[in-house]
Amino acid sequence: MDDALNGEGFDGEELHGEEVRGEPDGEPGGAFDGQPGDGPAGGEPDDGFTTALEEELRQAAAVLDPMPPELLQIAVDAYALHDLEARVAELTFDSLVDALPVRGVTDAPRMLTFTAGEVTVDVEVTSEGLLGQLLPPRPAGIEILSGPQPGTPVTVDEMGRFTTDRPPSGPFALRLRTGSDVITTEWLRA
Amino acid sequence: MRTGTLPSAAYDDVSYTRGGTVDRTDVGALVQSAADGDAAAWKAIVEGLGPLVWSVVRAHRLSEADAHEVSQTVWFRFAQHLGRLREPDKAGAWLARTARHECLKVIRNQRRLTLTDDPLLLDRVSEEGVPEQALLEQEEAAARNERVRRLWQEFEELGERCRQLLRVLIASPPPSYQEVSAALGIAVGSIGPLRQRCLRRLRARLESRGTA
Repeated sequence: MDDALNGEGFDGEELHGEEVRGEPDGEPGGAFDGQPGDGPAGGEPDDGFTTALEEELRQAAAVLDPMPPELLQIAVDAYALHDLEARVAELTFDSLVDALPVRGVTDAPRMLTFTAGEVTVDVEVTSEGLLGQLLPPRPAGIEILSGPQPGTPVTVDEMGRFTTDRPPSGPFALRLRTGSDVITTEWLRA
Repeated sequence: MRTGTLPSAAYDDVSYTRGGTVDRTDVGALVQSAADGDAAAWKAIVEGLGPLVWSVVRAHRLSEADAHEVSQTVWFRFAQHLGRLREPDKAGAWLARTARHECLKVIRNQRRLTLTDDPLLLDRVSEEGVPEQALLEQEEAAARNERVRRLWQEFEELGERCRQLLRVLIASPPPSYQEVSAALGIAVGSIGPLRQRCLRRLRARLESRGTA
């Protein structure tokens, strides 16, 4: 999957198109939203038709499959999530990627590990919710974020263990406060 | 067909450096400004690179719901890393790569849960609504729309690799090859020849149906 485009089939074909820059004749304007400076075509040898066809296809995409406006708004609003004060705990283990699947086990919980310096957060995502452990063990204030809106606090015991009663839907991050330290885990989709 | 629209003067004297130098030069500066608190700079980044992220997600044939959530995740994470990026001028490649990784996770998770990994089935869900609606609103341009529809259909039926590559390439504004490389995990040097080949293939399909 990772290399779906590599290798087989495509290699070994050298193209020698003329150095003609075709003008796109695919009717710019209308729903096409690009800016003048964004010329199509490549630095490689090209011929007129590929440039024109690509441009036409670009306009078709702009009409038939544009970035949804509500998504654009969400992305604009996401600016509120930038926070230079908090440290970011990076995802250092994800069982979805880093663990070999066990044959026959289809509902194994997803195991995640986030790391920021000496602080580690282990999280298990099951259909019942999150199960987490802050390491080294210590009390902390933890909330679950699901977007720019205020997060939902979770109960943490004095050993840094926490649970939630339902799994996150959509993107989530944990915001941890221990002492003067504020840490957010990398945004992830459970 | 051109009536009513300005001629494509915008393209006539453009220096054809694919992405990279024209509109992308400012990305590093915009990222810096956004990290410093300039919300307008952030908005400009989203508007300039949002369509790229969307294209990457669509190239991976995610369902509508997955496509939305992955895109959101990518932008949330980008906001989180704002001011911490090692190469702010390569924010486009960062976004494309992150989108790709999240898409691959979704695909992997689907397989794991054996929900459905039939891409056709997933796609049917994602294709409902939007295209037809968009078309209906432009009745006066019916002929043109018919051509666009056919073009899109032939594009959708291209081999998976070509469809994926082209879907990313046709983001608007057009991505740089570096971004395409990050989006699909292919070498920058192979993109040009692949692009040529895929577009040739698409043209051949159109011609064989008499739509070229």
